[in-house]
Amino acid sequence: MAERADERLVRLLGLVTYLQSAGPARVEDLARRFDVTGAQILKDVDQLWVAGTPGYWPQDLIDFDAASMERGVVRLIDGRGITRPLRLGTREAVALVAALRALRETVADEDGREAVLDSVLAKLSTATGEAAAALDVRLSPPGRPDVVHAIRTALSSGRRLHLTYADAADNLSERDVDPIELHTRDASTYLLAWCYRAQARRTFRTDRIVSAHVTDTPAVEHDVPRDVTFRPDDDAPVVTVRLASSARWIAEQVPVDAVRDLPDATFEVDLRVANRVWLLHLLTEQARYVVDAHPPDLLTDVARDAQAALDAYAAFDPAPPTLG
Amino acid sequence: MGEVTRTPPAERLLNLVIALVNTSTAMSKQQIRTSVAGYDQAPSIEAFERMFERDKDTLRDLGVPIVTVDPGGHADEIGYRVDQDAYALGALDLTPAELGVLSLAAQLWQDRSIATDTSRALTKIRAADVAEAATDIVAGLAPRVSAAGGALGPLLDAIGTATPVRFGYHAANTGETAQRHVEPWRVAARGGGWYLIGHDRERQAPRSYRLSRMVGSVRLAGAAGEYMVPADVDVDAFLSTAGGPEQVARLAVLPERAGAVRARGTVGVTVRGHAPGSTTPMEAEAEVRDVVEVPYGQLSAMADEIAGYGAAVVVLGPTELREAVLERLRAAARLGADRG
Repeated sequence: MAERADERLVRLLGLVTYLQSAGPARVEDLARRFDVTGAQILKDVDQLWVAGTPGYWPQDLIDFDAASMERGVVRLIDGRGITRPLRLGTREAVALVAALRALRETVADEDGREAVLDSVLAKLSTATGEAAAALDVRLSPPGRPDVVHAIRTALSSGRRLHLTYADAADNLSERDVDPIELHTRDASTYLLAWCYRAQARRTFRTDRIVSAHVTDTPAVEHDVPRDVTFRPDDDAPVVTVRLASSARWIAEQVPVDAVRDLPDATFEVDLRVANRVWLLHLLTEQARYVVDAHPPDLLTDVARDAQAALDAYAAFDPAPPTLG
Repeated sequence: MGEVTRTPPAERLLNLVIALVNTSTAMSKQQIRTSVAGYDQAPSIEAFERMFERDKDTLRDLGVPIVTVDPGGHADEIGYRVDQDAYALGALDLTPAELGVLSLAAQLWQDRSIATDTSRALTKIRAADVAEAATDIVAGLAPRVSAAGGALGPLLDAIGTATPVRFGYHAANTGETAQRHVEPWRVAARGGGWYLIGHDRERQAPRSYRLSRMVGSVRLAGAAGEYMVPADVDVDAFLSTAGGPEQVARLAVLPERAGAVRARGTVGVTVRGHAPGSTTPMEAEAEVRDVVEVPYGQLSAMADEIAGYGAAVVVLGPTELREAVLERLRAAARLGADRG
């Protein structure tokens, strides 16, 4: 993947500034500091080596010590006046300060770690000023307070959790998991964990966790992808749902394969859904906007379940007193 | 050298910065075009002008403001230079632990546009601070966050420059999608989701909007600095009035069902249903239900969720929630009838 020119420029300028103040540095240390490969650092140095002031004679160019380069050490000889670190842009400051505040809240009831966060927040706020107020993030994972507390304790002490979980199809299960991290996605927060029952990486929505207990067993490190983006399930059958135009937002919140606008202002979405119960829930919730669906037995099932629900409501008419 | 290969933009931008930092007074456009490496690639004056304007904007966005210098007197070309003292990031003097915390916090954002902002900020800070990062202090505790859709970046830009925006919005109470014209003040995340708070130009009053209900893209709709962003905005006060006071739903839930609802509520006594039109409780074991009390903020979201459970959950109260769920269930029941 090609790096954006502006990203690269910030690092190129940053490398020169850093070498000016820190002195010679090993290629691998620079790579770790700037979070790139050693090969990228070498490319960056080559790029800097031919940049300079107009004229571009040898004495006009940024210069490194060729002998130390041979030993894998980058020593700057002439930085051509690039000495000052770049100030933070508004969005950069906003994004970083908001992230710190969110992290600060996560460790709110921890032991002494908040002091470090407070001091870095204070230093950064001084450097960035008012702009940081534009974004105000407070993450409190939805769910039972005792469950959220148990998750945080397990994460910070590195211990295994025992969960009771209600999945999207409303099945209850008991699982032992090694917690990895919390991931907030719009209104929901997910615990990313290694699940011993599934012997695989699983995500658990925090407000579907019925109970959570921190065990005495230390959690084990698992090398799993950290991405929790939901994608259509390639193996699942395709269903098509036609919706009224006012339900457009559904197409933006549910992982859809394709969206087609139709001449009568309705639109169709193709979904690949492995979990039929979840799909029936969705169609029931949004029934007021559903025009059609394929295969058609989806709608017969939705209607049958809805009629059963209406019958149940008749049995719990609010007028007569219910028994305690 | 001198081949037909085009100079990569990073190299051209780098040479421009170095030239403008080192110029004794200022450089005119003419001087930049003829002497700074990369600009000789521009086939015409017009192409150069476009290239230079874009590069200037890019550098400003990165935090390198190019200042213009009016030569005065008889000279007719304005000059350009970079004042390093004006743009420098003051030393933060971060300790290793602080730099470590900052590196972790920068990983919080999962949305590409805003993740780009934090990684660039981190590159700048790493260049400015000599300390080595230590990451163990909050390892594992750092959450990851995705905001809803692509609205966050454009909204932050709009707030930063005080520029009004337009967007399509799906209103929860009416179910209608309509265009909104808003002066953005703040973006806020709370347990219940992401919100924009701002002044609604049509309604002439402050409003809050859920980012997840924005439809399509957020577009700038006005000039920068067209309004003032208030210095103090009580985000929580706005959001609590917007969502309405928290209510408690009383639900009759079949045994072992609706685990996610039970997880958020308190399970109390049991109830039995009765035959329609009668007050006599039914005998069938199947009709014994647990009464679960669950707090909720938004009526429509709660009604959606409860309707999804079908017969497993019956709303006993409040009445408006019961009616909202019944409306959804009746619509769902009709989906079969239409197909006779």
